Amino acid sequence: MKELLNIKNLYVQYNTDEAVVHAVNGVDLIVHRGEAMGLVGETGAGKTTTALGILNILPEQVGEITEGDIVYDGKNVLNMSKKELQAMRGKQVSMIFQDPMTSLNPIITVGNQIDEMLLLHFKELTKEQRAQKVDDILKLVGIPAERKHEYPFQFSGGMKQRIGIAIALVCQPDLLIADEPTTALDVTIQAQILQLMKQLKRELGTALIMITHDLGIVAELCDNVSVMYAGEIVETGTVEDIYQRIENHPYTTGLFNCIPKLDSNEKRLTPIAGYMVDPTDLPKGCKFHDRCPYVTDRCGRENPKAYQNGTHKIKCFRYESWGEGDSI
Amino acid sequence: MSKPVIKTKNLTKYFKTPRGLLHAVESVNLTIEEGKTIGVVGESGCGKTTLGRVITRLEEATSGEVYLEGKEILGLKGSAKRNIYHDIQMIFQDPYSSLNPRLSLGDIIADPIETMGERMSKKDLHELVLSLMDTVGLPPRYYNQYPHELDGGRRQRVGLARALALDPKFIVCDEPVSALDVSIQAQILNLLMDLQEEKKLAYMFITHNLFVVKHISHNIMVMYMGQVVELAEKNELFAHPSHPYTKALLAAIPQPDLSSRGKNRELLAGEVSSPIEPKPGCRFSPRCPYASEKCRAGEIPLKEIAPNHYCVCTLFSN
Amino acid sequence: MTKKKNDKKGSSTGGRKSMSQMGLIWLRFRKNKLAVIGLVGIVIMILICFTSPLYISWDRVVTQDLLITNQPPSVQYPFGTDQFGRDLFARVLRGGVYSLSSGFIVMMGALVLGLIFGSIAGYFGGMVDIVIMRLMDVFMSVPNLLMAMTLIVVFGQGITSLWLALALSSFPALARTVRSAIMTTRSAEYVDAAHIYGASTTKILVKHILPNCIGPVVISATIMLGSTILGIAGMGFLGIGIASPTPEWGTILSEVKDVIRFYPYLGIIPGTAIALSVIFVNFMGDGLRDALDPRMKK
Repeated sequence: MKELLNIKNLYVQYNTDEAVVHAVNGVDLIVHRGEAMGLVGETGAGKTTTALGILNILPEQVGEITEGDIVYDGKNVLNMSKKELQAMRGKQVSMIFQDPMTSLNPIITVGNQIDEMLLLHFKELTKEQRAQKVDDILKLVGIPAERKHEYPFQFSGGMKQRIGIAIALVCQPDLLIADEPTTALDVTIQAQILQLMKQLKRELGTALIMITHDLGIVAELCDNVSVMYAGEIVETGTVEDIYQRIENHPYTTGLFNCIPKLDSNEKRLTPIAGYMVDPTDLPKGCKFHDRCPYVTDRCGRENPKAYQNGTHKIKCFRYESWGEGDSI
Repeated sequence: MSKPVIKTKNLTKYFKTPRGLLHAVESVNLTIEEGKTIGVVGESGCGKTTLGRVITRLEEATSGEVYLEGKEILGLKGSAKRNIYHDIQMIFQDPYSSLNPRLSLGDIIADPIETMGERMSKKDLHELVLSLMDTVGLPPRYYNQYPHELDGGRRQRVGLARALALDPKFIVCDEPVSALDVSIQAQILNLLMDLQEEKKLAYMFITHNLFVVKHISHNIMVMYMGQVVELAEKNELFAHPSHPYTKALLAAIPQPDLSSRGKNRELLAGEVSSPIEPKPGCRFSPRCPYASEKCRAGEIPLKEIAPNHYCVCTLFSN
Repeated sequence: MTKKKNDKKGSSTGGRKSMSQMGLIWLRFRKNKLAVIGLVGIVIMILICFTSPLYISWDRVVTQDLLITNQPPSVQYPFGTDQFGRDLFARVLRGGVYSLSSGFIVMMGALVLGLIFGSIAGYFGGMVDIVIMRLMDVFMSVPNLLMAMTLIVVFGQGITSLWLALALSSFPALARTVRSAIMTTRSAEYVDAAHIYGASTTKILVKHILPNCIGPVVISATIMLGSTILGIAGMGFLGIGIASPTPEWGTILSEVKDVIRFYPYLGIIPGTAIALSVIFVNFMGDGLRDALDPRMKK
């Protein structure tokens, strides 16, 4: 598969009035054409920040990329002009958001909102051709084309998220970034949306970065997984590498253990000890060492490199025997 | 069978809306025993939160009865009404809006005691607050801190300490871990279960998360658009889900393992509509793959289809 | 500046010093230069005006001396004298006592009325809310100045009726702010929690709801203060405010309006006093808004 996105050693910080928040701390991430990558982690892990970096839409003045490169299809996003960026957003890379209520414009019909994307990126199309495309994409996401004259408030939550997906996909981007697209939805509706995304992935071959805190969604939808903690990717590999649960980063193991099982009757859960590290005051060494059951003296002094075994990379000294791999 | 702490009888709550009566909770009968947890699951708009708010009298019920240790409480007024809160408490969903941002943690936890508890000296009160903080795993150094200085998990511990301040017998837990990260969620669930064991607390645990409800509950009640559709012991429910909605709900959860990869699952079509002036019969029937004329004919009786397993569905009413 | 930076680091990372919301608000307020200028400016104006009775006697304020009319500013008369030979320096400083204190009194009056009506409407809702708010609408549909003039006619001219008139004509706007703030706060989960440990309505309102509504209310009250100071000056200028010879900035302006063309300093000085006080108060209001509601910034 051809490489589509290559993030190299990315550092992002937010400069707020009170402190400097170190949101992303040296992330390397490669996404190939047609691949579905799950980006998993808890609140404050830097998942969304990484995604905003790809589109170069970090909040102005506050968010700052201090180091690293983001190469999309051979071009560095960080060096692109305003025009190039606008051309890329929506046409080559698009994004769907957690809350479908706030990402749609309430006073424009959904058909026109989809049409707007086409107007922006396909100036050569005639009005009829655009209308045809709008109808097609609506049908594809499971909304009758006649409903394109309606306004967002006339749709339910799940339907709104389908419209969000339609807007994101109408220009047939090569990469779709989905930021917790089902978190605001009920489980039965979530199942419908996941099904739709699976089908679209098959039919359109769009590469996908799925940002989520839900390990179940990744298992269902993704080919590869990267687990983030405190702004770093601590483990990456294929879904099999990670979900076989033979060799994992202690944080990943911790995440799995936190989820109650449906098929067993354990009395107590095994939570991860302690709390999320403060991103304004990151510890030295491995960011997870304060909470890790396998901590050694070395973990507090030195940040482990990524150790690699085939497709599976883990940033933890316990896997040093694998040998150093490319950074993650 | 241990002692029932809370019992409801035909508990019903309708809201007046401009478009008609919204049937939020329709004739719910349930019993919660000492030291036990009943989990209430369902999707948004199923009435689970309203049920909790009616039992705690944050909302006044339209009809029906609630018994606290055998005594009816919905008819109580004035100080008799306030006195139920010695035994009934609640913890809330949003760890950010559930604590008064102007008060320090010590003041937040002390407030219920100052309002309703025994009169005591400042020093005793301080001691009591510290011991409550200790119970929920908050070190004393947080005493003078303010809510905005804490993360969600610790805030939720404060909410729990506040609920425990009056030494209640029954706590309504309204989505208490939904806003928390999984690693923190597990800590709070463990804490809730430890406290239950130690203090013989009865919980009504309201959630949309089936993993969580399976873990913490003894019995589980499934609601759909204000109606109870199924009620059973938890292992029985997960082993033999009987109502078509329960089945769909269980099938919809993405499992954090490779078992369901690549498989296409049976999907429930459509979405929840609003229970304003609903048609008679089963409100799930428009989405139900097994729906027949019988389902829309009228009220469907609750049927015990296995020991301690109740279901409201025409498939079982013969 | 460097010192400040160190401060910041210390509080966010090091000793985890606990900070109340008020502390945080003050920290944010301090960072806004204009707001600090406004606060310092208005405090200095208040200090100067309110200490003036210590060294400026009432005689000096009102004594007319036709031998020294229309003197330009000099060492003896820093602001010059008016057409009646009165010391303008003494009049402006002592006048500030009336202008500024009237501004504060009217604002406080409006605040109290606004809090009472707004809280009742917001907390109880329903019919009570409808009746109160429609009443406010009626109040608000009459122009402020017209309303105040009418009320003065009804109550009779005098400083108390001026206060009353201005407070009555400006409180409905505050009542609206209070009401909407209360309506949002009323549904907070900590208010539910307080119900569930049996807190009384008064306690819930006073301890849990009102303190959390303070933000928007303080902001509108401060911004209103600017317009009340202007309103008082305006009424003085129209001759229905604080009556001559009592010095009040608007009254002073009105007295000299016929000779301003020849002796512009007579108008410029009290005019500047009015303008400065209003600008300072408004700077402070803007700063408070940013400090109380950080989301509004940027």
